[in-house]
Amino acid sequence: MNYFDQKIQPVRDQRLTIIDSFCGGGCDLLDCARSGCALRQNRRFWQANACQMALTIMMASTVENAQIIMHGPIGCGQQMNGLVAQGNRGRVSRGLPMIAPRPWLSTNLKESDVIGGGEQKLREAIEFADREYRPEIIFVISTCAPNIIGDDVEEVVCRAQETTAATVVGLHCPGFKSRVVASAYDAFYHGLLRHLKFEPEPYKDFLPLDENNPEYERTMHRFQFEKRRTVNIFNATSIGAQDEQELTRLLEALGLKVRIFAEYSSLDKMRMISHAALNVSMCNVHDDYMLSFLKEKYGMPYVIAGMPLGVKATREWLLAIAKHFGLEEQANRLADAEEARVNEAIEPFLPKLRGKRVLLCGGIVRVGVEAVMLSELGMDVIGARLYHYDTGADPIIEDMADNLPDMQVAVSNQIFELVNQVNTYKPDLMVSHAGTHGWLARTGVPSVQLFNAMESRFAYNGLFTIISRMALALENPSYEKRLAAHTRLPYKESWYEKNPFSYLKS
Amino acid sequence: MATQIIHKKSFIENPRSSCALGGALITIGMMPDVIPIVHASLGCAGNLSGAISMGGGSLGSGYCGGASIPTSGITETEIVFGGADRLREQISSTLELLDAKLFVVATGCMTEMIGDDVQGVVNEFDGEPVIAVSTPSFKGDSYTGYEIVLDGIFNRYLPKIPLKDEKLVNLFGLVPAYDPFFRGDLEELARLIERLGLRANTFFTPDQTFENILSAPAASLNIVFSHVWGVPFVERFESKHRTPYWTTDLPIGAEASDRFLIELGKLMGVSEALVQSVIESENNYYYRYFERAADMFSNAGYKFYAETVTNSNYAIPITSYIERELGWVAREAFVTDQALPAQQRLLRDAFNASGLSSELIFETDTTQIAKEITNRHPQSHGERFFAAEKPVFILGSALERETAVKRGAFHLTISYPAAGRLILNRGYAGYKGGLNLFEDILGGERVPNV
Repeated sequence: MNYFDQKIQPVRDQRLTIIDSFCGGGCDLLDCARSGCALRQNRRFWQANACQMALTIMMASTVENAQIIMHGPIGCGQQMNGLVAQGNRGRVSRGLPMIAPRPWLSTNLKESDVIGGGEQKLREAIEFADREYRPEIIFVISTCAPNIIGDDVEEVVCRAQETTAATVVGLHCPGFKSRVVASAYDAFYHGLLRHLKFEPEPYKDFLPLDENNPEYERTMHRFQFEKRRTVNIFNATSIGAQDEQELTRLLEALGLKVRIFAEYSSLDKMRMISHAALNVSMCNVHDDYMLSFLKEKYGMPYVIAGMPLGVKATREWLLAIAKHFGLEEQANRLADAEEARVNEAIEPFLPKLRGKRVLLCGGIVRVGVEAVMLSELGMDVIGARLYHYDTGADPIIEDMADNLPDMQVAVSNQIFELVNQVNTYKPDLMVSHAGTHGWLARTGVPSVQLFNAMESRFAYNGLFTIISRMALALENPSYEKRLAAHTRLPYKESWYEKNPFSYLKS
Repeated sequence: MATQIIHKKSFIENPRSSCALGGALITIGMMPDVIPIVHASLGCAGNLSGAISMGGGSLGSGYCGGASIPTSGITETEIVFGGADRLREQISSTLELLDAKLFVVATGCMTEMIGDDVQGVVNEFDGEPVIAVSTPSFKGDSYTGYEIVLDGIFNRYLPKIPLKDEKLVNLFGLVPAYDPFFRGDLEELARLIERLGLRANTFFTPDQTFENILSAPAASLNIVFSHVWGVPFVERFESKHRTPYWTTDLPIGAEASDRFLIELGKLMGVSEALVQSVIESENNYYYRYFERAADMFSNAGYKFYAETVTNSNYAIPITSYIERELGWVAREAFVTDQALPAQQRLLRDAFNASGLSSELIFETDTTQIAKEITNRHPQSHGERFFAAEKPVFILGSALERETAVKRGAFHLTISYPAAGRLILNRGYAGYKGGLNLFEDILGGERVPNV
């Protein structure tokens, strides 16, 4: 079956084996996924989260000269007001100019639209956006309501394209389709791959030469040489400019040219995607969909080799790329030199961290790799909370289960379980996903950001940063202690006497 | 007149309100010991809370907000087969797990579209403190959501109290987060009301308990600080609980606060002598601070043409302050609510009656507001003597910052979305609030800040 030709992409649950409610060991998780018990995993109690629409607009709002039209009722996309500032921070940290916040539109579906359909409103909004704001790309975000009433958003998008100057891209991300927020990555990339061009165009991106031109051979040679040495790296909202710079630094040290997609990219830049030798992912959850599309369409090979967190995973990541270019020896030498320097740099911090009980919480790949890394540095990793499980991350989970066979592994993004876990297992430190830290502080435990797009987390600079952040977090916990002592959490006392995962059902 | 190619009112630019569910969530979540249960997809409550928190000046999650909000988290299965079973399970597990005096089930658009019998499910929990309100996004914006929740709690859930407490008043009209200074405003109003020997239920400030909600029907007066939002609600409140209401403007600064105290005193039968002595002491406090800042204000020549961009609640109060306290020339008062024509008429009447000289304009879209300002205030194109109205100060939301930068105008964020501001107990109401606003206009919050 080919998903790429469909108007609307499948959600993760349809494409992969998914678990979002689970507690056990690493091996149990893999067993559950493979035996089919995954299909029955659920909870009796749920708390709010994000949806795939939220993450889709996070990504779309970073694309240069792009206009966002929310097709839905007025509440959907409210976070755009904050994403503008976030996007500008991301832009500036990548050396791109600050831009005036581009307004966004909501089709503001009302009761009459829910009954009569919202397609006409959407058509008008696209037409208006094209004339009024003159964007390069118009992202049409299709939310729950139009998908329930049966608006054919993709048809409106394709029709609108005939009369608009901007490239119109439909991003189909109704929240009810999946509890797995990561479905957003596929929604975003599916829109791009359906509506954008990934091939350099003559006269726009290069000057075609006549074969008889004396420069022809030399130019072609250079053109092809560049392509053979170019690597595309795919970023995501959790990956900041400093991470991109660190990975670029390392790959450039191997003599490769690096391009980064698709956040903070543009219509023009994205045409260069196919002009590269290799696509590299940092996380299958982000971009396996896009990379398999590029392989199918352009025959581009790709590397999905875990996340470069810590010395071991970074070396593996580097070697996986180097292997493609026959540069293993150079990569090993580079890793040796970098490791020697970073090991020396983190050494003074390690005594403060050794033996400390740490609980990790966040995306499956990052947490899986980081759990192994921190335990190798001598920390007592007491548990891993994965926001979701999907089959693509099996190599990470297998490695984690091998290295930490007795560690508790939960699949949970639920705050009530987190609060109970902290209360029951009393970690010294949490390394946790964005959005949880306020609740963690209320429970009295210091926490470090699992990722922070304004800081470094990847490879050697990233290792140094997170180690020093952890050491800092452990110093002076007055804020968390006082806050916890004066804050009442909403749970009944009886909750803390129960197992944190007693609301799981199967 | 600019050519209007498209009837652009069918859609909206940078909406300054979320949906009815968003307004309901923040209203419920700000009340003491009240927890929402959201019957919608997993994302709604999280997305809305995050966005509203940011727009409300980093309001945060509170007791059981944000990622802690219990939700049925329905998926495609429930869209097809109905969500009643999931909701029933969620209510029952919520009652087991969470500690509150009242749970309010609020619906999202998808569960209303599929026609779940939410009230029917809630009725099954007889004897438990659970009620339901219908707040689908397509029914209205957050201001509507605020009214729907108040109706559900005060006019449907709360029983009548036969005996009135003649010293007690309820404060309504300020919408949590969408009036970003609501807590500071309410605290100052309660302080002034207490100085007259009365007591106020604010419902949304940290000093409040569930007792305040329970005692609301006994109040002798509902004060609504809005000509638009909450008015139909207090009308229904009056017909059920026999509490009369008074719609008035939020008093900002000494001049407006004096008038507020005098009128309130009359309505509540407070002795004139007491009212006068309170006014005197408050003015003394206010002007001993104000006059010190006056050196800086006057020496710097802080006299401006002012544009305000606010919701309908703040339009009159803020214009009144800058016109009557600061002596600025208020030009346009843009109101960004999606108010219906009848609601617009209510505000227009009040605005006309207020005697303020600026012009009231209803406009939701940021770009359109910027264009209006440009059209109405042409700038010099090199003429030697050009009567450009300068300098300009725009008091609006964070969205007006760019408009101000482009015009070389000053800007202060006072309305939703108040992104970039951290607002705790800061308010602009009353005497203390008037000083806060003076501080912000003169001090570090203003942009450019040189």
